[in-house]
Amino acid sequence: MNGVTLASVTRSEWIKFRSVRSTLMGVIVTTVLTVGLGALIATAVRANWSQMNPIRKLAFDPVSASLGGTLFAQFAVGVIGTLFITSEYSSGSIRTTFAAVPRRGLVVVGKLLVLVGSLFVVTEVACVATFLLGQSIFSGVVPTASLGSSAVLRSVLLGGVYLTLLAVLGLAFGLILRQSAASISAFTSLLLVIPIILFLLPQSWQNAATKFMPSALGHSMMSTNAPENFFGAWTATALLVVYVIVAFSVGVVLLLRRDA
Amino acid sequence: MLRVDHLTKHYGDTVAVDDLSFDVAPGVVTGFLGPNGSGKSTTMRIMLGLDRPTKGRTSIDGHAYRDFPAPLREVGAQLDAKSVHPGRSARNHLRALATSNAIPLTRVDEVLEFAGIASVADKKVGGFSLGMSQRLGIAAAILGDPGVLLFDEPVNGLDPEGIRWIREFFATLAHEGRTVFVSSHLMSEMALTADQIIVIGRGRFIAQGSVDDLTRTSAGTVFVASADDARLAQRLRDAGASVAVSERGLDVGKVPSSAIGEIALADGIALNELTPQRASLEEVFMELTADSIEYGSARAAS
Repeated sequence: MNGVTLASVTRSEWIKFRSVRSTLMGVIVTTVLTVGLGALIATAVRANWSQMNPIRKLAFDPVSASLGGTLFAQFAVGVIGTLFITSEYSSGSIRTTFAAVPRRGLVVVGKLLVLVGSLFVVTEVACVATFLLGQSIFSGVVPTASLGSSAVLRSVLLGGVYLTLLAVLGLAFGLILRQSAASISAFTSLLLVIPIILFLLPQSWQNAATKFMPSALGHSMMSTNAPENFFGAWTATALLVVYVIVAFSVGVVLLLRRDA
Repeated sequence: MLRVDHLTKHYGDTVAVDDLSFDVAPGVVTGFLGPNGSGKSTTMRIMLGLDRPTKGRTSIDGHAYRDFPAPLREVGAQLDAKSVHPGRSARNHLRALATSNAIPLTRVDEVLEFAGIASVADKKVGGFSLGMSQRLGIAAAILGDPGVLLFDEPVNGLDPEGIRWIREFFATLAHEGRTVFVSSHLMSEMALTADQIIVIGRGRFIAQGSVDDLTRTSAGTVFVASADDARLAQRLRDAGASVAVSERGLDVGKVPSSAIGEIALADGIALNELTPQRASLEEVFMELTADSIEYGSARAAS
């Protein structure tokens, strides 16, 4: 018999992940928001297409338009990631967990693998589904895109990458703050409130700062042509990965130092 | 052997544990006794590597807890009854624990059966009574069949039948040669459960010994009844004893019963009764910890 290994801890975390209802609910909400709201947005675009002004028609991106549901799903995946660790603190089960696995780094890496592994599959499937559904809604009225184009395929697949990275960001916030409400508030503020504050700044500052916001990075990742003043898709992906690594590292360092 | 070696733990300005040292031997049930807030739980958390000591260390058979390749197979612990995710079933909770330490899953069913919660194994833990949660904690503690077991206030919330069951369970574990370390703030409970007792107060070591030792070493008096109490009382006072006279006889302190017998013999006083009075463990505990109760009622009143 072996003892505690990364493999055994990851299997244990997988049992924990799938044995609470909040995970299942989170996955359902993520899928429904991505696909359902995506379809709703696509339907609205189609209905209003004839009244849309020609300049906006020119700039229209059928890919990012069909992935609009991810704007809402990003909060659902953030909550899944956050609760994966904060529910252990709020219930006190973190002490049981760390008594069983005193090398806490293994617990966090196990959680990371389970979260990334499961959400990557779910969000990629949801993004491809909402893309295909959106194109079929647009078809005949609004210009459509095809996965045969490499830029389109990249944008759709990076949609799943974006959502998965945000789930890990949620986990990192949970590691740092350890309370569900505080972590979810901080996560939501980062995605919603800070962009609004930036909006109040002078235009030149806005142009300089907005593109660094996670939501703007997501927009770049999911567009075939990133908007002016925004980063390109791959630069945006790399930058978001850096954010996630930094936040996660801070969380791990605090975890190793603090009393459970 | 469970060893606590000059352990100190500060939380900010609060000193939870203060230079505490003791050993816990295998094969007996050792009670860990102290008023609420005296540092029992902190000491146990440090033993399990959950909190980092400010100074000193704890070890199990010479090893630091975090050095065990599979800790659950060396040390089983029940901390507080509610340290389980309320949305998870008892069976899944134990499966996750077993899996992390490579313990066969067949063991999960065994411990559920043993703890008497097999019938509710697939129910969510959030709906459990405190007693059922305690039983789940016990099931988790014995999951890895460990040689060392720690229980923090295990009888809280148990019904009388459950308390009797857990006492017999501790005795069995000790009889099998395991180290059994049980904390409580209830002296009366410990008197019935533990063979050895370690008393702490305000994070400091106060006393260690068997229930017998502790009650004997306290300021126990000897009850004496004789043919001539008045004369005997005088002789005893001359010999340096403290004597309280009652209608039934004398309560004699400060001299052992053998010395009382000799004094009576020397003066030719016939003794009717000579009984060492043993303090109850409860009294000893109150006496030992009187100075170390953090929020004593006298203080609260002032």
